[in-house]
Amino acid sequence: MKVGIISFAHGHAYSYANALNNLPEIELYGIADEEEVRGKDAAEQFNTKYFSDYHDLLKEPIDAVIITSENQKHFEHVKAAANHNKHVLCEKPLSSNVKDAEEMIKICREKGVILQTAFPVRFNKPVQNAKQTIDTGDLGNIIAVKGTNRGTNPGGWFVQKEKSGGGAVIDHTVHVVDLIRWFTNAEVTEVYAEIDDKLSDGEIDDTGLLTMEFDNGMFATLDCSWSRNKDYPTWGDVTLEIIGTKGTLSVDAFAQKLDVYSSEGVKWNFWGDDMDEGLIENFIQAVKENKDPFITGEDGLRALEVAMAAYRSSARKTAVMLSEL
Amino acid sequence: MNILVLGAGTMGNAHAAAYTEMKDVTLCGIVDVNFEKAAQLADKCGTKAFSSYEEAKQQIVDIDVISVCLPTPLHKETVLQAARDKFHVICEKPLARHLADAREMIDFCEQQGVRLFVGHVVRFFPEYVQAKEVVDSQKIGQPVIARTTRGGAFPNASNDWYANFIKSGGLILDTVIHDFDFLRWCFGEVERVYAKTSRGRAAGKLEYSLITLRFENGVIAHVEGTWAHQNFHTKLEIAGKEGIIQHDSTSASPVVVEKSASVDEVVGVAVPSSPTQHSPYYLEIEHFISCIKEGKEARVTAEDAYKALEISLAALQSIESGEPVYLKQYSSLEGVK
Repeated sequence: MKVGIISFAHGHAYSYANALNNLPEIELYGIADEEEVRGKDAAEQFNTKYFSDYHDLLKEPIDAVIITSENQKHFEHVKAAANHNKHVLCEKPLSSNVKDAEEMIKICREKGVILQTAFPVRFNKPVQNAKQTIDTGDLGNIIAVKGTNRGTNPGGWFVQKEKSGGGAVIDHTVHVVDLIRWFTNAEVTEVYAEIDDKLSDGEIDDTGLLTMEFDNGMFATLDCSWSRNKDYPTWGDVTLEIIGTKGTLSVDAFAQKLDVYSSEGVKWNFWGDDMDEGLIENFIQAVKENKDPFITGEDGLRALEVAMAAYRSSARKTAVMLSEL
Repeated sequence: MNILVLGAGTMGNAHAAAYTEMKDVTLCGIVDVNFEKAAQLADKCGTKAFSSYEEAKQQIVDIDVISVCLPTPLHKETVLQAARDKFHVICEKPLARHLADAREMIDFCEQQGVRLFVGHVVRFFPEYVQAKEVVDSQKIGQPVIARTTRGGAFPNASNDWYANFIKSGGLILDTVIHDFDFLRWCFGEVERVYAKTSRGRAAGKLEYSLITLRFENGVIAHVEGTWAHQNFHTKLEIAGKEGIIQHDSTSASPVVVEKSASVDEVVGVAVPSSPTQHSPYYLEIEHFISCIKEGKEARVTAEDAYKALEISLAALQSIESGEPVYLKQYSSLEGVK
């Protein structure tokens, strides 16, 4: 099977490319990137061809593409891929806005191609273990969830609203919302959010605290702030505290770490399994078997809607119903 | 100075232990409607037990301070009576179940010329004191987002009074109020509060609450309260523009004892502890006593306790309305009531 990658704007492209190269019977056919230096370097690093125009890559005999461009460009790239009948794995958030995301889902359905949203944390082993525990019913009914997905300010296009659609809230809301939906099969009905931009010097939101109501009577909060500074021992976290009627479960996706003390200060070296490999393998499997992906475009849309509701809530200073969007 | 402790429950034990250890202070009695409980604690502390406040008053010639360690719904009448008797009062938190009651208690104590202190003991926990010092030193720059956690198992107490929301106010009024007070100490007045709780969503003896505070200075705080876990724990994180501070009680346990399973026990339970020369309760009460002696203002005043209660009740209001509650509007509304 031949797979291409459109854009290395998002850093995850590197680990996805790596995962593709590690999989048997998969050829990383080519890399398209409008930034020539970045694209050529990546092509050299992963031993593949470089395309300056992604249309040329899509004309090649590839089966699927991974889209890791800036959020705002997902729409253009997904649409083009679907029109060339290529299956798509699209980086999260699915889009910088709800309308484009809906359109992407529609086009892919019409063209009969897979649209999978890249939520790799579903492939993190401790997270999968937590999901299995919840599924046994040992915790009883889930009443509440406390989530965090903090990070360091990624800078670059992430802090340029016209390219990203927003800062920390759009960047870091979607992972945990997806996990909570996956864990509980419940949908968010209402969002309240406090959002601010005081952690970094820029104008874009870097601090976010969401409270959500779900259609099964459960509630949750999520801290999606870029609140890890440069001296923090790691880039950030994904944690969930699950409160059930019969027990509680806490999962820390990146707690499998080695503490390293050196002239760089303290650093946490993660030694757990690579979740990106699981994501790529799963996508390839869906393409091979031409079946519905494990994580759909709709999953990406639902998570994006929550981020958008959070922005609206913060602007209005009231709780916002998802049905209002 | 002569002290009478009312209530021989968890907090009564903490207060009595502190007084016993203190110089220049005499613990002259323990009162509990359950005389056996009072007697047990009195024995331990080498003092007398009484089954009523009236009885204790008749038998003890000289009382200076009353420690009120009774269930919240009894605070008002007890504090008013103590003030009427011209005793200084150290009252456990929350000061009262309702704002109007708290105001009446504060005003009456002032009128009677007695001091009123409220046991917001977190301001005397060394890790929290130091956290505030670090914030104040500007080492982490402008604070932006804070997170706190407090709780453990559902509390067991006389007549299961915690389970009666009308009386106790539940998790937020009893436990989360500590963090509201601490955060307000660090960041000033709260502008608005948004809160959710499990109460009414699930049956059974547990409560879990998640609250968002927005302070007037812009700080956002996430406050977690739990009576849904098994072991008591606290956490604090403050992220500023230039740095982060973190405290986690579960990772600050210098002494951990694990006993091997004995014949009749299935498994040995690890008991962690964090020993200090003086308990935070001792530090708090010693401070209050010195405030009485020297006539100085306390680190945490009755007005601070009133404000913490106000934030807690505003959180309960937000739970009812599903919308953020603005403290300024809330306090003026409550004033009208």
